[in-house]
Amino acid sequence: MSADPWTWIAAILTLAIFSFLYKENPFYRFAEHLFVGVANGYAITFYWHRVLVPSLINPVSHGQKLWLIAIAIIGALYFTRFIPKVSWLVRIPIAVVLGYFSGAYIPRAIDAQILQQLRATIVTRSMFANWQSGLWAVIIALGVIATITYFFFSAKRKGILKPVSRIGIIFIMVGFGASFGYTVMARISLLIGRLQFLLGDWLGLIH
Amino acid sequence: MKRRLPLMIVLVLGIFGAVAFVIPHPIVKSIDETMRNDVLRIITAFSLVLGVGSIIQHHLIKIRRKAEHWPFSYIALISLAVSAAIGLFGGIDPASPGILPTHIGGFSFHMQALYDNIMIPLASTMFALLAFFMASAAYRAFRARNLEATLLLIAAFILMLGAVPLGRMLIRPLPDFAEWILTVPNTAAKRGIMFGIGLGSIATSLKIILGIERGWLGGGG
Amino acid sequence: MGFWNKLLKIDRRWIYTIIWLVVMIPLLFPFKIKPMAMPPVTRLFNYIDTMPEDKALVISVDYTPDIQPELHPMCIALLHHAFATKRKVGLLTLQVMGLGLGEAAIRQVTEEFNAHATTHEDSIINGEDYVYWGWTTPIITILLGMGERITNVYPVDYYGHRTESLPIMKHLKNYDDIGIVVSIAGSSIPISWVNFANTQFGVPIGCGATAVSAADYYPYLNSGQFTGMMAGMKGAAEYEQLVADKFDELGIKWELRRKGTEAMSSQTAAHIAIMIFIIIGNIAYFVIRRRKK
Repeated sequence: MSADPWTWIAAILTLAIFSFLYKENPFYRFAEHLFVGVANGYAITFYWHRVLVPSLINPVSHGQKLWLIAIAIIGALYFTRFIPKVSWLVRIPIAVVLGYFSGAYIPRAIDAQILQQLRATIVTRSMFANWQSGLWAVIIALGVIATITYFFFSAKRKGILKPVSRIGIIFIMVGFGASFGYTVMARISLLIGRLQFLLGDWLGLIH
Repeated sequence: MKRRLPLMIVLVLGIFGAVAFVIPHPIVKSIDETMRNDVLRIITAFSLVLGVGSIIQHHLIKIRRKAEHWPFSYIALISLAVSAAIGLFGGIDPASPGILPTHIGGFSFHMQALYDNIMIPLASTMFALLAFFMASAAYRAFRARNLEATLLLIAAFILMLGAVPLGRMLIRPLPDFAEWILTVPNTAAKRGIMFGIGLGSIATSLKIILGIERGWLGGGG
Repeated sequence: MGFWNKLLKIDRRWIYTIIWLVVMIPLLFPFKIKPMAMPPVTRLFNYIDTMPEDKALVISVDYTPDIQPELHPMCIALLHHAFATKRKVGLLTLQVMGLGLGEAAIRQVTEEFNAHATTHEDSIINGEDYVYWGWTTPIITILLGMGERITNVYPVDYYGHRTESLPIMKHLKNYDDIGIVVSIAGSSIPISWVNFANTQFGVPIGCGATAVSAADYYPYLNSGQFTGMMAGMKGAAEYEQLVADKFDELGIKWELRRKGTEAMSSQTAAHIAIMIFIIIGNIAYFVIRRRKK
């Protein structure tokens, strides 16, 4: 069993959260609120020491890049969110970040999300280097078309659209099944991690 | 003014963000670098105010109104203040401490100690609870009611068995078949969905730049 | 109320107890398992193993404490692989809450290597063999800025040292000096790496994903936008096995702690239990439905 007081604190907090499985209780609520507080304190620390100090405070205090003071004032407009009379000013820093990000995102997303994915879907002769890869490429191409057809709501599902969208839903369900199977794996892994801590680091039962 | 100014900023910077990608002229590149390394960085750093400010406001209101479980709001506020003080004045790296001592005798309470022993156990245990809820939900609600649900169930079973070593012991090609499901039909379905999401997000970005999508402005004038 | 009805309405806490036991018992009494690496993991491992020696491995610790049991073993395994094969390593995170995990990972692995080191060359030294850049904001500053000059993006590292002064940074200026970036994340951050770093600068991207999002990332593997991928704890266990084989090949004798592999007995038992739950639930459902008809 561990002799480290921090390991005991971590173990007690772990058990406090697990106690929620029985029913909601003050131990769980205490742990939940403690997390909110410490997480925010942690974020404040790094926003200050690793962003504002090296990128704003240090250069300005050395008389360099004094124009950054104006940028800091724009950033400080986030505080107006809590002053009802001038709360609209919060839109300005949001607009700067949102505008630049939206503009930078569009050309890159067209390339990465659309063009490169389209290129990978188109069946080419090189994909038939062996029959298996060729066949799988054809199935993927047909599956993509069928899936998109399933989500095509602008026309009534009749004629060719009906069987194709039916094939589409089969692909979608297999895809969702795969996601569900993997989700089970993910959730169990998280529980295993905590038990590895309780049984190993705390109780010393596994090494 | 209250709406037009932010919309103008979004339009100008949106166009600049896109143009900087396609015109690699040194002047454009230099402005773009300054924009990212200085302007965006400092403005985004201040955005923490929104998150932390909202948390503090929420708990102060709870305490003032004596809302349900209000005493716990003191825990959130005190732990926030204490951990921020440790981080701001005690430093980040225990090897180069700040002005606030972060140990009493052999017991050290620097930022990484709080992270390792409070944040990691609390956050990861909260998520570990999902394993129990998921097991319970799968037992009560996962039914092979029709062909679609049955397909979903079969695919999930193959993945669950194929993902663990027992699957290979029971049926040798099972992990390879599970991998085939992921690589072929799953890829087709997810790519089809991805095209929709990709086009949707590009369209939304364009609508924001052009001022058609104004949800981000919030309410008020 | 009939047997099947009772079975369906069983108190959820019985289910919780079974899951608890099913996960706990194999941890105490594990059965021997040797994970077999699947193609996405093998591709990632082989790429890192054979990339040019002057190129660095960059690990983006983009996960947070809530999902660390699943993803942290991946980070550890990558660091073991990199240091065993004498690769330079750069660590960073795009999430402020991931900072401490990067620090914990690098501290653990450097301590392990340095405990067995006999010479300066064998030791893993901060600023020479690896650099932990830490975190800054926003992510677009990092993803695009690293293509120009990393020291402009990170004026100081996690520990507060000026990055310009670190010897490793002389050979690590931008993406041109990076062999691959492996983003380990529980969110869509690896896609941001593809959108900005891979698309514009052509730097290869590897991915360590939670199993929840792994299935959604297969289109990127198929298109080659991801060089390789580790999916969940299983992916970590597979990478750990490849690293253990590499240790044998290199004649490194000391034992590695392999948390992902250790978890596989419990993972197996829990999957079987949940499948049995679903089967029983379905049998009960169909029996009750037939009776009602």
